[in-house]
Amino acid sequence: MAARSIWNGTLNFGLVKVPVKLYSATESHTIRFREVHAKDGAPLEHRRMCSAEDKEVEYGEIVKGYEVDEDEYLVLDPEEIKAAAGDRGKVVNLDEFVDAEDIDPVFFEKTYYAGFRDDPEPYALLQSALEKSEKAGIGRFSFHKREYLVAVRSREGVITLHTLKFHDEVVRGEELKVPAAKKAPSKKEISMADKLIEGLKEPFDPGQYKDEYKAAVENLIEAKAKGSKPRLDKAKKRSTPDDLGSALEASLEAQGAKS
Amino acid sequence: MAGPIWKGSIGFGLVNVPVELVTASRDLDYHFRELHETDGAPVRHQRFCSKEGKEVRWDEIGRGIEVGGKMVVLTDRELEDVQPDRSQTIEIESFAGLDEVDPIYFDRPYFLRPGNRSDGTLRAYSLLVEAMRGSDQVAIGRFVMRTKEYLAAVRERDGVLALSTMRYEDEIRSTDFLPQIDRRPAKEAVKDAIAVIDERAVEWDPSRYTDCYRLRLKHVIDSKRKGETVKAPEPHDEEDLKPAPDLMAALRKTLAKRNSGKSTSGKPEAKGDISRLSRDELYRRAQEKKVEGRSSMSKEELAKALRNK
Repeated sequence: MAARSIWNGTLNFGLVKVPVKLYSATESHTIRFREVHAKDGAPLEHRRMCSAEDKEVEYGEIVKGYEVDEDEYLVLDPEEIKAAAGDRGKVVNLDEFVDAEDIDPVFFEKTYYAGFRDDPEPYALLQSALEKSEKAGIGRFSFHKREYLVAVRSREGVITLHTLKFHDEVVRGEELKVPAAKKAPSKKEISMADKLIEGLKEPFDPGQYKDEYKAAVENLIEAKAKGSKPRLDKAKKRSTPDDLGSALEASLEAQGAKS
Repeated sequence: MAGPIWKGSIGFGLVNVPVELVTASRDLDYHFRELHETDGAPVRHQRFCSKEGKEVRWDEIGRGIEVGGKMVVLTDRELEDVQPDRSQTIEIESFAGLDEVDPIYFDRPYFLRPGNRSDGTLRAYSLLVEAMRGSDQVAIGRFVMRTKEYLAAVRERDGVLALSTMRYEDEIRSTDFLPQIDRRPAKEAVKDAIAVIDERAVEWDPSRYTDCYRLRLKHVIDSKRKGETVKAPEPHDEEDLKPAPDLMAALRKTLAKRNSGKSTSGKPEAKGDISRLSRDELYRRAQEKKVEGRSSMSKEELAKALRNK
């Protein structure tokens, strides 16, 4: 795997400077389709058209506008947009540390691995201290002309940087206004559900889950490339039980029979 | 609240709860539109067939993929045909402790809300919520949305069912390519480093952190509307490429600095201490003191402005 760093900079904590390179920690394996003209398979071209003149517009003739009112745009220069990017340069100051497990997973966005640059010593020190304290350093990270909130922690012996959502970007459950059931589930039903959960408990093992749909699509692509089309079974439907209690009992029985 | 992006049900044993998937994140970014410079008119993106040079309508678009130099075109109908059973149901396959699931796996956050308002649905929904409430358990399952099968973690958050799509294990890169550390740091140094961390330890409180990028962009837009222009600031915290020659000395100095700060005054309001505060804390104080132009100020500028107040 060609590992290309996406950012070179320094993590600061106190007066200790940790020079690092960042690498993407994840890669998508989704099948990438191209938009094509269905009838002849020709790839599509996106052309930029002026909505007033109905003529194609060269990229160099395009400016960025912010809609301040309906159909009224405020044109911003690239320089002005750059002004918002911030002034943090290539430094992430870890001013505060929190218990890493206190950050709700809903906040996590992208993950990057940090590798040391030049000197392994400060890197090893920060990594050990983060690992032993189980803390995450909170800082700001400037990347691609914008600024991110980040949590820096140790994961499997590697300093790992996660970009985080800001609190106002996270929707709260109360906003859904889910109506309450007229009759809440009984204690007995909840304890049956607890038992079902207990029976389904197993250590988290992400390796056991494979994207089966992707495999099916890959087969389909292969078959079509050869000019044939695979036959497939229809999905079976499951009925929705009306009686919650008896559905739970039947589930527990089925689970007991399995184990 | 935006409409559902997927409708189906969640299957738990033989209990099947109709649900709808809605997003749990809000896009608060400022978005820009491409305009034609000469007349200021918005630019439209139109799709043209690269072979015929003619515009292509939505219903004429297919999904293509190149196999051995040949373009294979798939229709939505064909893609639907090979969908697994999970296209309508999120089947709970197992439960795991939330702390066992590394945050690296979490991709996008959603909520599941009841698919209808019938009492049967609402009761079954609240049964799942109650069973998972306060247990720090996540249900692991899979479902199909559009043309992708997702691994999902479902748990209780704020009294409703929250779902996160998750990355597959093969989408997490191995760390083998990173440069290896051949030497463990000295115990003493690690102890001091942990002391530095502990001194800066705070409770995780996401509301302490504001999106300064968004604030500054708003400031740029507001200034421009008033006819002012905003210059790009010079980077402040430029990288100091000379690392501290002696790691232990840097650690000791950091600790000593903090300790001496404490001895002069316990209150962080003491003038000498203000520069130690985070940019967000400084910003909050600047808001209280109504410091002008605060949204575009750096940490250092905020500290300076507050000292002068």
